[in-house]
Amino acid sequence: MSGILSELRVLELTHRPSGAYCAKLLADQGADTIKVEPPGWGDQSRHEPPFIDDEPHPDRSSTFLAFNTNKRGITLDVEQEAGRDLFFRLSQSTDIIIESHPPGRLAELGLGYKALAEDNPRVILVSISYFGQDGPYAGYQGDDLVAQAMGGYLYAVTGSAAKPPMGTVLQQMEITAARNGAVAVMAALLRREQTERGTHIDVSTMEAAVSTPSGLIHPYTYTGRNPHRGGSDGNVMDGMHLPTLDGEVTLTTAGTGGRPMQAWAEFLEEPGLTDPKFASRGGRMEHWEEMYSLVAPKLAQWTNLDLMRETMARGLVIGLVQTPTQVVESPHLEERGFFVELDHPETGPMRYPGSGFFIDGENAMAAARPAPRLGEHNVEIFNGEMGISLRELGLLRAARVI
Amino acid sequence: MAEKGVLEGVRVLTLEQVHALPWGTGFLADLGADVIRVESPDHLQDRKAGPFPGGQAGEEWWNEAGNLVYYGTRNKRSLCMDVTNPRGKEVFLKLVETADIVTDNFRPGTMQRFGFDHESLSAINPRIITLSSTAYGYTGPWRRAGSRARTVDAACGLSYLTGYEGGPSMRASNNYMDHSVGNNVAYALLLALYQRKKTGKGMRVDLTMLETGVSAVGPAILEAQRGITRDRLGCAHWWKAPHNVYPARDDDRWIVIVVSCDEEWDRLKTAMGSPEWACDSRFDTALSRWRNRHELDGLLGEWTGQHDDLELARALQEQGITAGACLTAKDLVNDAHLKDRDYLWEFTNTRVPEVGPRIFAGRPFRDTGNPMKISKAAGLGQDNEVILSELAGLSQPEVDDLETEGVIYGAPRPDEPRP
Repeated sequence: MSGILSELRVLELTHRPSGAYCAKLLADQGADTIKVEPPGWGDQSRHEPPFIDDEPHPDRSSTFLAFNTNKRGITLDVEQEAGRDLFFRLSQSTDIIIESHPPGRLAELGLGYKALAEDNPRVILVSISYFGQDGPYAGYQGDDLVAQAMGGYLYAVTGSAAKPPMGTVLQQMEITAARNGAVAVMAALLRREQTERGTHIDVSTMEAAVSTPSGLIHPYTYTGRNPHRGGSDGNVMDGMHLPTLDGEVTLTTAGTGGRPMQAWAEFLEEPGLTDPKFASRGGRMEHWEEMYSLVAPKLAQWTNLDLMRETMARGLVIGLVQTPTQVVESPHLEERGFFVELDHPETGPMRYPGSGFFIDGENAMAAARPAPRLGEHNVEIFNGEMGISLRELGLLRAARVI
Repeated sequence: MAEKGVLEGVRVLTLEQVHALPWGTGFLADLGADVIRVESPDHLQDRKAGPFPGGQAGEEWWNEAGNLVYYGTRNKRSLCMDVTNPRGKEVFLKLVETADIVTDNFRPGTMQRFGFDHESLSAINPRIITLSSTAYGYTGPWRRAGSRARTVDAACGLSYLTGYEGGPSMRASNNYMDHSVGNNVAYALLLALYQRKKTGKGMRVDLTMLETGVSAVGPAILEAQRGITRDRLGCAHWWKAPHNVYPARDDDRWIVIVVSCDEEWDRLKTAMGSPEWACDSRFDTALSRWRNRHELDGLLGEWTGQHDDLELARALQEQGITAGACLTAKDLVNDAHLKDRDYLWEFTNTRVPEVGPRIFAGRPFRDTGNPMKISKAAGLGQDNEVILSELAGLSQPEVDDLETEGVIYGAPRPDEPRP
């Protein structure tokens, strides 16, 4: 493996997308990342639809495939003593361990930070949970929707004021927790270079939801106003989605030199927009239906890509509301080489997203491998790297340890 | 800045505005880096954006905004200097000699126009790491386009999939993507520092909002290639039911309840006192619950509607049921769990004491090896003199001269309107 983190080994012992995604972030930068799954069933997300080509199969879950690139996969039952022993042995040559057990459970298994670090003081243990390792909610059950609810996202961020709370999709709170975890890991790695000591990092998904999406707390403590959903209701210029010839678009007042309605009136050839009643944000909200009736028919004459090209040429800022298919087929992302094709034996080749940044023009995903099949690297790791005989592996398999 | 932070000795010069990049460099500042925000006297929108105490911008409005403490200038230093002025440019390039990282969020081309592109800066300092955080990147047909967080929510596919069941697409957030990108900025910069320790060489990072967004919707990207479409479902789920937001007793109070398997459904039934409707065979299996989920949601909502959301969520959790109240900012500020974990940070900005103590969200991770806190929020141009004399080697008369000539500022221009 090449990549910035290629000298590091990561062990992933997680049950939730946050842990899997955090490990993926490290794996995509070259870390030798071993995903440890329960024998037989494997990671729960292997069994969650949608499945590629709709066929239910543990190697076809889109979530599993997307969140587990660049990992090697082994099976190991850490609930059994023989499994714990093997995990412990592996941990001794590991730099970073990512886990998502209920708080305290790992220590009960004899695999807590203290035990892991006793002979491997350089180990960095990352515990990602919904509510953190301590506090009154530590034992609560969570998932992405609960994190959106208890993190304030549902009530205040998405949705309409007059309707029930609504959140966003594709487990964004899990991903937010994962991104925070990756930042914490890098800080701990840099610290370890100074101290030769690892650490135990406690990441809370609820807190990631509170601190990351929206800055709910201080807007409230400064103004006394409780942020509430509905910011896009009737907000033609700064929030709504508006139909185009072949899709949808969202407009902004940015890039207009402080004269948004003049700039948009000119671009859309709709002089009605310069009416003084639309000059202020408040005025635009008050007369939004009238405004919509002026703007929508004009936008409906444009195709998405033409609109993007022409607004860009004038410095106006818009967002195309792209379908995932339009994203995959984006000429812009194509030219940048953002997607990387990975050939998985079960699904065949598909294009996977890169990491969001290029370093010296390099896409870190260029040398990537697809998600592992269940236990794909058992022999390679247990036999080839740890020296456990094939005969012994056979016994471990019979005992459902691997 | 934490005492002896892990990034002590790392200097960041940042030409940053708005949200994503300041959020990213804020992590480095929290970890002890000397982050110098180089601000223009002509673009004070971040300092105008608030929030202000009581919603009113005060006398020294340019230092009062809560966003400055939350990420804008938190644990950073401020140099208010016009880098488009030849003398300002000269000083900036001198500072680059002492820096490890230069970041910007201008559109591609601007840094080059200033003479601050990666090639020019690495000619001065070969160890320099540059990171440009842009909407769409330095290459590709959309490179000249600007963005807002929600335009990226839109362009990456997230907003298309977001919406009430059967309804139109809706913006996924107001600024989720800014923070997501900021986290990616911090990750990329820490990776670059880690790499430089091995190679001794600088590098150039081209980080984009669009691609950060697409990297967060990977499953949908794979599905789209095989013709799988996702219907908008609001808070409902692809295969779980109940999995939704339900009304509680009081006005605009809500609770989410998630059931993933039959065992959990049995627990919920018991918690409800096994009412007749819940024992109906229509709801016996995961598949039948999902097929009849609209009726199920309606009936469950009638039950939750009789209860206080906070009490009900606690009671359900105590019985092992995945549930949570839809907390508001006010709830969160008073939340016993967050208080117990010291997640809520009180900070008084001594620069503007009349603002008084205010509560901020903390960091969502704890590491005793890398403690974090808010130590300061830099006022506009607060560190001009120290930076110019100690880092750029200017004498006091030279600094005074820059001030007289309108190259550096310690306050907005007199005609700058109060927000």
